[in-house]
Amino acid sequence: MTLMSKLTIICAILIAGGLLAGCSVEPAERHEADRRERETGWRGIALENAPPKPDFTLADTNGDPFDFRAQTDGYITFLFFGYTSCPDVCPVHMASLAAVKRDLPVELQRRMKVVFVTTDPERDTPERTSSWLANFDPDFVGLRGEKATVDSIQLAMGLPASVYQPPDEEGFYIVGHASQVIGFSPDGSIRVIYPFGTRQADWKHDIPKLAGASSGS
Amino acid sequence: MNLQWWCSAQAIPWDWSWRPYPGVWLFVLAAAGLYGLAVRGDGTGSRRGWAIAGFLTLWIALDWPIGALGGGYLSSVHMLQYLLIALVVPALLLLGIPESTWTRFADSGARPVLRFLTHPLIALGIFQIVLIWTHLPATVDGLMASQWGSFLIDVLWLLGGVLFWWPVISPVPDRTWFGAPLKMGYLFLATVLNTMPYAFLTFGESPYYGIYELAPPVGRLTAGEDQQIAGLLMKVGGGVILWTAITTIWFRWYSREEAECPAP
Repeated sequence: MTLMSKLTIICAILIAGGLLAGCSVEPAERHEADRRERETGWRGIALENAPPKPDFTLADTNGDPFDFRAQTDGYITFLFFGYTSCPDVCPVHMASLAAVKRDLPVELQRRMKVVFVTTDPERDTPERTSSWLANFDPDFVGLRGEKATVDSIQLAMGLPASVYQPPDEEGFYIVGHASQVIGFSPDGSIRVIYPFGTRQADWKHDIPKLAGASSGS
Repeated sequence: MNLQWWCSAQAIPWDWSWRPYPGVWLFVLAAAGLYGLAVRGDGTGSRRGWAIAGFLTLWIALDWPIGALGGGYLSSVHMLQYLLIALVVPALLLLGIPESTWTRFADSGARPVLRFLTHPLIALGIFQIVLIWTHLPATVDGLMASQWGSFLIDVLWLLGGVLFWWPVISPVPDRTWFGAPLKMGYLFLATVLNTMPYAFLTFGESPYYGIYELAPPVGRLTAGEDQQIAGLLMKVGGGVILWTAITTIWFRWYSREEAECPAP
């Protein structure tokens, strides 16, 4: 083989390597989070002029009333509507939040609450919800209420009401529900939406910011 | 059932019910058919045995359940696929090529290009580019969501692996200067270079691959644990394969030296 041929092949390999290395095939969601961070400083979707923190009371997994606004006051709070039989979005969100919480400094861990409201009160008994949440983090709060009550809370927050899909031959059914987690600053004045697709790195970026945020800051 | 021809991420919940991947079967059968045509009665039974083991391993690595789990659920299984496709299969296939087949192929005019591409430095360089590029988060997240992207990664692993192993397991010893000590050094260098992606995966603060982090869960493994297992698998699994080769070369070299210069 001539020197020229060798050089041609080397150049081809280097160009191919460069093209491969420089080739951006990253999914669009990442670019969206990057863009949001550049524009707003948040990797989630920060709502401007957010309405006040929702005010509702539902039963926790011990059967005690949980006043959402009062009992999350002063905490970084993440609220999610889902169900324990959910095969994809719910366990991924809960696992992500649990993993992120474990990696936070202890001080921030103590200031963070995750509240899970079931959209499937028929199957999600308090025991089942408690044991499912304990798989992720025993401190996660599970709430349960009548479907109509939970639907009205979601609608009041601008979220769609949950929808039961027809059951399969074994009686299993899917519940359609909003897939986003809603984050609140400790004073409740900042609301950040985290759609499905939010990565652990995104939560880790936003949580300290959420901890120190208030509408005046 | 949503039929796929190649394993890739589907974002549907995992279950253990079998799914067909016809593209995988065609690919493995076509590769085995090409081998059969190229060999055309050459070689010994042991050569064919290596080749059959290679094609079987390739099929296992690409098809359900390993292919499906690695395609969109667990980065640790994706790493297992890498080890099998890039490090195990090429070695077995090269061991399965009879010398006469290689000579016939090389004499057809491919020798200069192959000789250049399989130069140890070039082969190791290409293999490292493939290794690093196919493990970058942007590449994995961007390509594994499509069947063609996933196919491209698998083919790059296979071709990169063939180039990587060629200087060590060449069907004919056409580089006499590249003897046992250099082969062992070459493989040792590969184990060192393997450390970079291993450290990147094992000690990462958050999961790097969105496709696996956001995949419907399989068992109770968290995305972080899955990634750490992937990193350890790369280091330990890759190390075992490469050190097995190093040890084999050393013992053969030692036996040969002993035979040539017996102790007084």
